[in-house]
Amino acid sequence: MTPVAIGLLSILAIILLIYMGLYIPIALGVVSFVAIWIMRDSFDLSFALTKIAIGDSAMEYTFATIPLFTFMGLIVSKAGLGADIYSVMNQGCRRVTGGIGMATVGANAVFAAVTGSSIASASVFSKMAVPEMLRHDYNPRFAVGVVAGSSVLGMIIPPSAMLIIYSFVAEQSVGEMFLAGVVPGLMLAAAYVAAIWFMGRFTPGFVGGRKVEAEDLMPWSEIFVKTLPIMILIVIVLGGIYTGWTTPVEAGAAGSLIGIIIAAVRRRINFRSFWETVIETGHITAAILFLITAASMYARMLGIAGLPNELQNILATIDFDFFWIMVLLVALMLFLGTILDTASIILIVVPLFLPLIDSMGLSLVWFGIVAVVAAEIGLLTPPLGLSCFIIKATLDDDRITLKDVFLGALPFAFVMLLVLILLIRFPALSLAILN
Amino acid sequence: TETIKAVVIDGYPARALWVQEFTNFFIPEVDKRLAETGNYKMDWQESYGGTIVKPKGVLEGVKLGLGDIGIVTTIFHNSKLPSQAISAATPFVSADARAVAKAVDEIAKEFPAMQEEFAEQNQVYLATGVVLDTYQVFSKEPVNVMADLEGSKVAGAGMNLRYLEGIEGAAGVRGGLTDFYNMVQTGLVDHALLWPEAASTFKIAEVAPYMLRADLGAVNSKTITVNKDYWEKLPEEVQGALLEVAVEYRDHIAGIAMDRAEESRNAYVEQGGTIVELSAEQRKAWADAMPNIALEWAKGLDDDGQPGTEMLNAYLGKLRAAGFEPVRDWAAEAATN
Amino acid sequence: MSLRRKSVITLIHKIASNIAIAANVVGTFVVVALIAVVNYDIIARGIFNKPFLGAVEVVQFSMVLIVFLQLPDVVRVGRLTRSDGFLGLVKQRSPGVGRRMSQILDLISGVFMVIIAVAFWPEFLEMWESQDYFGVPGVFTAPWWPVKLVIFLSASLCAVHFALHVLTGGEAPRKQESGT
Ligand code: NA
Ligand code: NA
Repeated sequence: MTPVAIGLLSILAIILLIYMGLYIPIALGVVSFVAIWIMRDSFDLSFALTKIAIGDSAMEYTFATIPLFTFMGLIVSKAGLGADIYSVMNQGCRRVTGGIGMATVGANAVFAAVTGSSIASASVFSKMAVPEMLRHDYNPRFAVGVVAGSSVLGMIIPPSAMLIIYSFVAEQSVGEMFLAGVVPGLMLAAAYVAAIWFMGRFTPGFVGGRKVEAEDLMPWSEIFVKTLPIMILIVIVLGGIYTGWTTPVEAGAAGSLIGIIIAAVRRRINFRSFWETVIETGHITAAILFLITAASMYARMLGIAGLPNELQNILATIDFDFFWIMVLLVALMLFLGTILDTASIILIVVPLFLPLIDSMGLSLVWFGIVAVVAAEIGLLTPPLGLSCFIIKATLDDDRITLKDVFLGALPFAFVMLLVLILLIRFPALSLAILN
Repeated sequence: TETIKAVVIDGYPARALWVQEFTNFFIPEVDKRLAETGNYKMDWQESYGGTIVKPKGVLEGVKLGLGDIGIVTTIFHNSKLPSQAISAATPFVSADARAVAKAVDEIAKEFPAMQEEFAEQNQVYLATGVVLDTYQVFSKEPVNVMADLEGSKVAGAGMNLRYLEGIEGAAGVRGGLTDFYNMVQTGLVDHALLWPEAASTFKIAEVAPYMLRADLGAVNSKTITVNKDYWEKLPEEVQGALLEVAVEYRDHIAGIAMDRAEESRNAYVEQGGTIVELSAEQRKAWADAMPNIALEWAKGLDDDGQPGTEMLNAYLGKLRAAGFEPVRDWAAEAATN
Repeated sequence: MSLRRKSVITLIHKIASNIAIAANVVGTFVVVALIAVVNYDIIARGIFNKPFLGAVEVVQFSMVLIVFLQLPDVVRVGRLTRSDGFLGLVKQRSPGVGRRMSQILDLISGVFMVIIAVAFWPEFLEMWESQDYFGVPGVFTAPWWPVKLVIFLSASLCAVHFALHVLTGGEAPRKQESGT
C-alpha cells in the first residue's frame, strides 16, 4: 500500500469510527495502532508507537497553560467576575442586536493577550459567556458559535503557542512572529464584530437575545466596582507577560492565585466550591491532553507511513504558481483541519511548503501568519474541531449538542476564511507593523 | 542490486544545520560509496521535524525501531548517556567545533563507555557531531568583566547553567532556545547563554546588543546512531560505508559550524550588535570560580565502574595535542584528589 | 443477568469507582500543587533572585500526573470527548441496537487501554531497575519510573471502567456525581 493510500484509508476509518460514536482519542489511537500493524506487519512497532506517543506527549511544559488558564477562567467565573463583566458589556452594547456577542469577541481579544492557546480561551469563555448569553435569551447555537469563533483569537493575537511552534520550524524570530500576529488578530476580531452586526440585522432569528431594559441600567459606580477586579487581573497577567516577570505558564499560575484571592475576598467561594473548581480543571485537562496525545500518535503514524515525504514529492513534480500554491495550501490545511490538531498541522504542512515559499522570495514571517490562521480554521470544523470539543466538554450541558456547537461556529469559520484570503492577498497586513 | 530501506529520524526540522547536511552530505556520500560496487542501493525515508519523534524522542525512537538511523541530541539524556557530557563538563578549553568533535569521537572509539551506553539503548554508535562553536554571553547592557554578571539573571539550558555557579548572586533561568528572545526582551533575564549562530538566527541583537566573547567552549550534542537489530541485518559493505561517512559527516558539520559561527558574528554586528572580548585574566577568574564539574562528571562515571578520570585525561590530552590549553586544568585537580 | 452476578459487578463497580475517585482527588491536589510551585518560583526569582531550577521538571511531571490520575474518573463519568449524535439517534430508534453498539464501542476503548497498560508495564520495570532520571545533574533531576507507573495504573483502571460500561450497558455508572 502506498503512503497516500494509507493516509486516506486511515482518515476514512477515523471519520467512520468517530461518526459511530467512538471516543475521539480512542478512534485516533486505535486506527494508528492498527495502521502500523498492517503496514509494517509488526505488532512490536505498534507498541513502540504507543509508548513513544503516549509517553512524551503529556510531558510538555507549555501544556501547563491548559490547566492553569482553565482554572483561572473557572475561578474567575465562580467569583462572579464573568457575570459582572458581561452585564457591563451588555449594557455597553445594549442598543445593538447581538451586542453581548460583540462584547464576547472584544473580551476574547483582550483575553487572547494573556493566553497562548485557543484551548484556554474556549474553556474560559464557554464557562463565562455562554450562560450569560443564554440568560439573555440568545440562541444557544449563536452563543456557542461566538465563543468558538472568538476562542481562535487566543492563538493569533500574541502570545501564541502556534506562532512559537512556527517560528521554530521556519527558524524565524519569535519576536517578529508575535508582532506580525497583532494586526491580523485585531482584524479578525473586527471581522467577527462586523459579522455579528450583519447576522443581527439580517438573520435575527439565528442571533436571538433581548435588549436590556431601562430599569436594568446600572450607575457608573457599580460599573466601576464590577470591572475593577477583572481589570486588576488582566493588568497583572498581561503585565506579567509583557514586562517579563512571567512566562505564559507562570502568568497562568499567578492569575489563578489572584483569582482565588479575589474570589475569597468577595466571599464567593468556600472550600467545597474551590474543590469543585479544581476537579473540573482536572477533568478538562485530562480530556484535552488525552486528545492531543492521541492526535500526536496519529500524526506520527502518518510520519512512519511516509505521507509527508510523499506529499513533498508530489509538490516537487508539479510546477505551481503563487495562486495555485496558496489554493493548495489552504485546501490542504482545511482538509487536515478536519482531523488533526493545529500543532500537528503546522508541523506536518509547513515543512512541505517552506522550500517553495522561500524559493519564490516570499516573506516567511507572512507565511507563518497565513499558515497559523489557516490551520486554526480547523479548530472550528467537524468532525475534529478542538475548540468546539472543548466548549462542549466544558459546558457539559445536554441541551447543547456537539452538532449545535459546530453549526454555531460555522459562520465564524467562514469569516476566518475571508480574513485569511485578505491576509494572503495583502501581505502588508502582517508585515507593516515590522517596518 | 539489493535495495535496503532506511528510515532516518530527527525531531528537529529539516532546516536545522545538522539535518540539512544529513540530507545534502551524509546520504549522497553513502549512495556514492555503494554505487561504486553496485551491490546495494539505499531507499531513504527522511522523517524530520516531529513527524515521527520530537527532539527528545530520537533516542527512544531508534531504540524501539520507529527509525532505523537517528540523530540523537545527547544533551537531553544525561541519565542514559552520562559520558556524552564530556565537553559540556569541561568549559573554557576549546571553542573549535572541529577539534572537540574529533576528540570526543576518538574517546568514544577508544573507550567502550560511550558505545556501551548506546548499546544499552539498543543502538550502534556511529559518530559524534558538534554543531555549535561555543556559548557566549548575550546582554541587554554592556558587559566587560565577570563582575557585570553578578546579581543578574542569565538564561541558559542544561549544563551551561552550572557555569554560573561561581558568579556571586548570578541566577540561572532555564528556557528553551525559542524563548530566549522574549526572555531578554521582556527583562525576565539580563543575559542569555547562546552560540552566535542561534543568536543570529533568532535576531538576538535586537534585544541583546552586547555579546561578551567569553568562549565558554564547543559542546558535542549530536550522535548518529543505528538501531541494533537493523544494523545486524545490514550487509558488511553498507555498515562500512555508514561508519566511514559518519566520520566524514562529523568533520563536515563541525567545519560548517565554524564557518557559520564566523558569518553569524558578522551578522550580529550588522544587526546592530557589539562584541566585547573577555580578557584572559577574566576568563581564568571565571573558570577558577566555578565548581569543578569535570571532576564531578569523571567521578560519577568512576563510581559506575567506568574509566571516567581516564577519559577526562585522555580527552584533555587530545585537545592539548591539537593546541588547545585548558584555562583551568580540570584533570589535574582530579589527579590530586 | 443472574442476581449473584449482578451483585458481584456492583461490588467491583463500587471498588473501581472509589479508586478512580481517590486518584482524582490526588490529581486534584497536583493541580493545586502546580499553582503553588509555579507561584513560588515567580516570587523566589522575582523578589529573592533565587529561581527554583526544578520548576520545568516539576511542571512536566505534574502534567503527567494530572492527566493520568484524572483520566479514569473522566472515563467513569463518561466525559471523554466523543461525537454521539448518531449513537443517540440509534438509541432513540431502537434501544437494543444502540445498547449493543455502545457496548462494542466501550469494548474497543477498553482494549485500547489494555494495550497502553501492556506497553507501559515493561517501561516501568526498566526505569525502576535503571533508576533513570530526567533533568540536568547538579541542577535538578527527577526519576522516570513514577511517570511510567502512573500511566500503567491509569490505563489499567480505565480498562476496568470500560469493561464495567460493557457489562452494565454503560448506564448505571454515568449518573453518579463526579468525585466530590
Ligand atoms: Na494569545
Ligand atoms: Na477541525
